[in-house]
Amino acid sequence: MKTRFLALAGGLMAATALASVPAKADVKIGLIGGVSGPIAAMAPAMIDASQLAVQQVNEQGGIGDGEKLVAVVGDSACNPQNGTDAATKAVNIEGVAGIVGPHCSGAVLAAAGSVTIPAGIVMITPSGTSPEITSLEDKGTVFRTVPSDDYQGRALARTMKDMGYEKVAVAYLNNDYGTGLANAFKAEFVDELKGEITQFAAHEDAKASYRSNLAELAKGGADTLVIFDYGDGSGLTMLRQALENGFFEKFVGGDGMKSEAIISELGAENLGSFVSSSPVGAKSKSLDVFNEAFKGIGGDPDAIFATTSYDAAFLMALALEKAGGKKEGVAAAMLEVSNGEGEPILPGEWKKAKELIAAGSAIDYKGAAGDHNFDANGDVPGTYALWEVGSDGFELVTEMK
Amino acid sequence: MEILGLVNYALFMAIFIAIYALLALGLNIQWGFAGLFNAGIAGFFAVGAYTSAILTSPAAADRIGGFELPFVAGWIGAMCAAALVAWPIGKICLRFRSDYLAIASIGIAEIIRLVIKSEPVLTNGARGISSIPRPAGDLGYMESQAAYLVIVLAVLVAVYFLVERQFNAPWGRMMRAIRDNEPAARAMGKNVEYRRLEAFIFGSALMGLGGALFAHFNRSITPEAIDPMVATFLVWIMLILGGSGNNRGAILGAAVVWIIWSVSEIATDRLPHEYAVQAKYIRLFLIGLMLQLVLRFRPEGLLPEPLRGDRRAAPTERDRS
Amino acid sequence: MDFLELLNFYVIPGIVIGSIYALGAVGITLIFAILRYAHLAHGDLATLGAFVALAVVSGLGVSPLAALPVAIVATAAVAVGIDKVFYEHLRERPKIVTVMASLGIALMIRSVVQVFWGVDTQTYVRGIVRPEDYFGLRIRDREIYTVLAMLLLVGALQVFLTRSKWGKAMRAMSDNPNLALLSGIDNKKVVVLTWVIAGGLCAAAGFFLGLNTELKSLMGWSMLLPVFAAAILGGVGRVEGAVLGGLIVGVAEELSVLWIPSEYKAGMAFVILLFMLLVRPTGLLRGKVL
Repeated sequence: MKTRFLALAGGLMAATALASVPAKADVKIGLIGGVSGPIAAMAPAMIDASQLAVQQVNEQGGIGDGEKLVAVVGDSACNPQNGTDAATKAVNIEGVAGIVGPHCSGAVLAAAGSVTIPAGIVMITPSGTSPEITSLEDKGTVFRTVPSDDYQGRALARTMKDMGYEKVAVAYLNNDYGTGLANAFKAEFVDELKGEITQFAAHEDAKASYRSNLAELAKGGADTLVIFDYGDGSGLTMLRQALENGFFEKFVGGDGMKSEAIISELGAENLGSFVSSSPVGAKSKSLDVFNEAFKGIGGDPDAIFATTSYDAAFLMALALEKAGGKKEGVAAAMLEVSNGEGEPILPGEWKKAKELIAAGSAIDYKGAAGDHNFDANGDVPGTYALWEVGSDGFELVTEMK
Repeated sequence: MEILGLVNYALFMAIFIAIYALLALGLNIQWGFAGLFNAGIAGFFAVGAYTSAILTSPAAADRIGGFELPFVAGWIGAMCAAALVAWPIGKICLRFRSDYLAIASIGIAEIIRLVIKSEPVLTNGARGISSIPRPAGDLGYMESQAAYLVIVLAVLVAVYFLVERQFNAPWGRMMRAIRDNEPAARAMGKNVEYRRLEAFIFGSALMGLGGALFAHFNRSITPEAIDPMVATFLVWIMLILGGSGNNRGAILGAAVVWIIWSVSEIATDRLPHEYAVQAKYIRLFLIGLMLQLVLRFRPEGLLPEPLRGDRRAAPTERDRS
Repeated sequence: MDFLELLNFYVIPGIVIGSIYALGAVGITLIFAILRYAHLAHGDLATLGAFVALAVVSGLGVSPLAALPVAIVATAAVAVGIDKVFYEHLRERPKIVTVMASLGIALMIRSVVQVFWGVDTQTYVRGIVRPEDYFGLRIRDREIYTVLAMLLLVGALQVFLTRSKWGKAMRAMSDNPNLALLSGIDNKKVVVLTWVIAGGLCAAAGFFLGLNTELKSLMGWSMLLPVFAAAILGGVGRVEGAVLGGLIVGVAEELSVLWIPSEYKAGMAFVILLFMLLVRPTGLLRGKVL
């Protein structure tokens, strides 16, 4: 009874707040991703995860006074040309109140620089890992739910050192994701922890054979290969060829390698020596909650960046609710809905969040991919865990510091 | 709000069209007037974009540059750099005929792309360069776009008149003569190699300028922008569809193709919600199909090359295989 | 580094990849020679062939090799159909128009593949196959199939071109189209035949690329540039040249990591090509100069 009263009051308050907005309209957000282009294999799951958040919001009362949250999908094709085009259309034609995406750092930088920052629209990217995004002069409008490469690379180095890895070879994809992780890993593992990296080599995407690369990597005598690549792209090809030809005994991947394609194509029985890091919500049930929900709509929770995509969309919805469905206050609201203070909100708990926001209480979103306490640059510190392949998909080995 | 949004979108499209029109004009000099099959537009685009980025962006710790020069210096630098890169390439490759030059220039563009991705000291590697200043970038969203459009249009108009003037001058006649009948032109005492090189360098400088305008508009340049699909093949489609050999055709082609490219997404967004992702694949199909239709019904381009001299009297089919 | 290691990890993978490139390059070189344009949809046609084979494998549960003929026939039919619907009426136009049309076709084929088969990375056979040991040489069975199939297909094509009536007609068209037409060769049939052969080989290239690695919707497109390099390297219009070119590009890419940073591996094909064009502009085996 009390909750219903609260909801009613909240609804009324939201209604008054929205009174200035003409008529009851849907609140739109843009989901912009690299649907076509080089990461085409990753994008659908990321979009689906974001759509799940939108669906939950609408099932549990929508934004403000029951307005529907509508997601508009745009294609950035992973390049700046299409990224800015998609963002411009989302902002100006669809009139979105915020953008979740784009997926690739180049598109993020370009879309932010030419569209969302000038237009004052908040952008939250689930997968743009480039450190350049941190230094954008964005008037506080660019956020991300994926930590900058630096966090993960260093955390992985420390954890591996603790687990006794001493001598490794590093192979990384020659793009912003791969180079960022590899360089952070190298800085921590070699300079700070005095580990040994025998070989450190980049490779291009989409080649048919990496056996010569692997032979070169194996030359230093390391027994462990660290791969910073995508598990449904060249990372999979590389891991397959390494396993088939008996290069290296142990394999470690970044979060891009924790992909369902690795298990479904190579088979869990072959992956006993493979571990990979991936973001996880520290000390909360968030990830399990998300996994259940995502399986419920037929998604695969192990898809790369699915958790960060979900969190980005859910955070966007929370910020919109807090800002009364208007784009102007979203940037400020984003910092308030997830700053480590207030009542914790888990994935899917939209109704609870809505009531608390309506009552004016502080909330703190605990996401599936981490707590997402944004710093001044709109970045999040990561909480990572190391995963191994069990009979039933990926299983947690240890949390990473 | 709705109207303002449309205006903003139109401004954005106009800026992109103007930038692509510059690339198409550059290509028109090379292909339309000199018959040089340059399939490495992306390479010169990249050289221009990165040169201007290095010259005008604020200083950075771990790469060269950050000279914070005014943007005009950056753009001139971009043209010079693209021309300088084009010079040895032209010197070596222009002796290849047509299709060989195409594959050689694709190869060079790919090598340029790999260098840009892999040499952090020069270009900040895969991360690209951000915080490139945009002229009049401090204004509001629409004002800034409008101001930039004015600048880009001014550049485009200036380039158009310059190129048009050259084409109608004796130089243009000579280029067409070389293109259509090389032995005859050679027999007339024209220095074919030198003239070709001239056209190649001139066209490449324009492509560099286009790249610089693109980088400043987005305030960033990353290797992802040098994808052959959007930086080379798209420009080719624009020129052929607009009408090679005709400068107005090149500009019109840029406009038509970019509008198809961009508006097709709005069209496929009308599909039911569940197919939002599939709609993007279908969009590619639509783009391909539109291209087929235009080529089917206007194979000589929307604005064909104007007939000059005795060709006006007796038009003949020109074979350029 | 001992000799066996060089063979196992550099030369053999290079030959396998080179064989796949060769299958694509033969089609490119035939189209170049007879129809006289660069066919940019070749890579995506290969993708289509690979996915048709996947549909057969998953639909009928047969082994991948049994699916190969189906894929070859289907892709050849598609290639002929594309030519009939889209390229045929452009034949009298400047060739560049057809090149642009083929770019549009590439987008359309890719879109069809993405709509029908999705964009997930897939394989014909789940799991990994460890190589067998032949006197120290480590080779997987599918690698043997790849090289053998390439030799078989190209050998058959070569016999066809040199011995049969239609093969001779194709060569005549390639050498001197005007003379060939005058001597009564049916241009239309030669064109159809060219597409059947190019489409079929294309499917084989895509199939073996998928068999040796994975199937992705962009697999063919990313193979396009090295395949073109291989075709030009071998000399335009020379089938055996395309095979040689493919093998050289494949082996050179794999060997390149011994000397240059591995991020530049993808540029190797072009370095060789540029060098070749400089010293011998007609290609390794004397092809035509277009």
